[in-house]
Amino acid sequence: MKRVLLIFGVISLLVCIRPVLGLTTNTQNTIEQTSLEQTETQQSGSFVQEAFNGINQFYQYTGFANASWGNVTMIFIGIVFIYLGIKFDYEPLLLIPIGAGVIIGNIPFVAGNQTGIYETGSVLNYLYFGVVKGIYPPLIFLGIGAMTDFSSLIANPKLMLLGAAAQIGVFATFLGALYLGFNLPEAGAIGIIGGADGPTAIFLSSKLANGINILPDGTTVKNLIGPIAIAAYSYMALVPVIQPPIMKLLTTKKERLIRMKPPRAVSQKEKMIFPIVALLLTTFISPSALPLLGMLFFGNLLKESGRTERLADTARTKMIDIVTILLGVTVGASTQADIFITKDSMLIFGLGAISFVIATMGGLLFAKFMNLFLKGDDKLNPLIGAAGVSAVPDSARVVHTEGLKADKNNYLLMHAMAPNVSGVIGSAIAAGIILSFLG
Amino acid sequence: MLITKLYIDQMSEGYVILITGLTIVFLALLLLSTFFKYGLPILLYIYKIITKGRDKKIKDITVETDKEFTGEIAAVIATAVHLYLKEQHDNENAVLTIKQARKLYSPWSSKIYGTQNTLK
Repeated sequence: MKRVLLIFGVISLLVCIRPVLGLTTNTQNTIEQTSLEQTETQQSGSFVQEAFNGINQFYQYTGFANASWGNVTMIFIGIVFIYLGIKFDYEPLLLIPIGAGVIIGNIPFVAGNQTGIYETGSVLNYLYFGVVKGIYPPLIFLGIGAMTDFSSLIANPKLMLLGAAAQIGVFATFLGALYLGFNLPEAGAIGIIGGADGPTAIFLSSKLANGINILPDGTTVKNLIGPIAIAAYSYMALVPVIQPPIMKLLTTKKERLIRMKPPRAVSQKEKMIFPIVALLLTTFISPSALPLLGMLFFGNLLKESGRTERLADTARTKMIDIVTILLGVTVGASTQADIFITKDSMLIFGLGAISFVIATMGGLLFAKFMNLFLKGDDKLNPLIGAAGVSAVPDSARVVHTEGLKADKNNYLLMHAMAPNVSGVIGSAIAAGIILSFLG
Repeated sequence: MLITKLYIDQMSEGYVILITGLTIVFLALLLLSTFFKYGLPILLYIYKIITKGRDKKIKDITVETDKEFTGEIAAVIATAVHLYLKEQHDNENAVLTIKQARKLYSPWSSKIYGTQNTLK
């Protein structure tokens, strides 16, 4: 309960302060500009005066002089991210780099010295290149592929449909964003937040809402990579808070007690065939998702082939770690207040929360729907439907703990992993479809 | 007028994407799941027929082939492995670093109980 209060407190704070910030940032900046010019003209005077001027000029370059309320709020949010990561263990591997990135990106500076992430030539800008051009996400997927064990999915292929059902969140959010007045490519990029998959969200937004593409009516799309990535990652981290109430709401106690039969043992041959066949089938259907799905299944092949353990090991440990560090910090830093704190960002945050709720509901309800056709042992515990939102492996863990709350001896983790990984595949396919329609 | 028309068009295209997108995602995963439900067993069956007799399992290997492998040989190998692992201890890295061992508090090792005792 305390956690819920804390999180909603932060979000509401953000929403309340925003209008004030939006106004203050602009005016403050202009004042600083003029004062800077004044100090430069007042170069004459005594030695003390000159020294004083020097100090004053130095002061104008410091963060204290340039800080706007937006920067301070964002730094505070960065600290909250770090706090949530450390204290509650919500995806610390993501929240701590992102939180640190938010702080780094919001240190106030004088523009024009190649410091900020949005200034061409700055180091941060070069690192951010991997985000803008969608380089990091496929590399992350390679690592995820090399980590993931698809055996529970191979053992019970019908659970794949739960991963598809949760993608309703993607398309519902897409429609919601259209209603709120975003244009098609932007809405597509916002919709993918419902896929609950950080790398996919970054990949799609870097292709659709990158601030470079030009729309048919002549205007350029907005750059929404930062808000979308932050929304996707922060809601992924908040899966343990968002999902349980919905799960309790939509399932009865009796349904939560359903025990599923243990998945059958899967032979190594099947595991080896899976990545190849899945790669062929999914990418033939949705070729635009090739960078994501290609790398995902390639990584999985490295793991399952049994001959490339070294490569698989690097992909799932060192490489994914390196890319996560770069991705987290640069995505965090891209929240530079004057660009990030806008009405659009707030709308995206709102839509993101709704999309997670819809995705979870889609999965749960579809599991109940499938139960109508299944008998006896084959019945599904509807809780595992909630794992259809990809957020690997957090949502599977949430399902597991919820299952344990209903019945202390009902271990759902293995079953929940199946819709969980198929959710990753599903959201990548969905991203590919949206890209082929709107890209 | 133009703007409203554009807006409506955008919405209708949105609905098209919604319906087709969802259908394609469903179909893709349905295809995948049907393949693994029905296609894969057939594939494995065919593979089994092609490679008939070549794919031996452990229990299929008869004792005949292992005639030479007596218990003595096993014992020799075991001893060799044991000795090798024991040797390794002698060739340990000479660089020593002192590692701080974190001692957990236990009343058995507590000094406070020893402070009140007087020697008799």
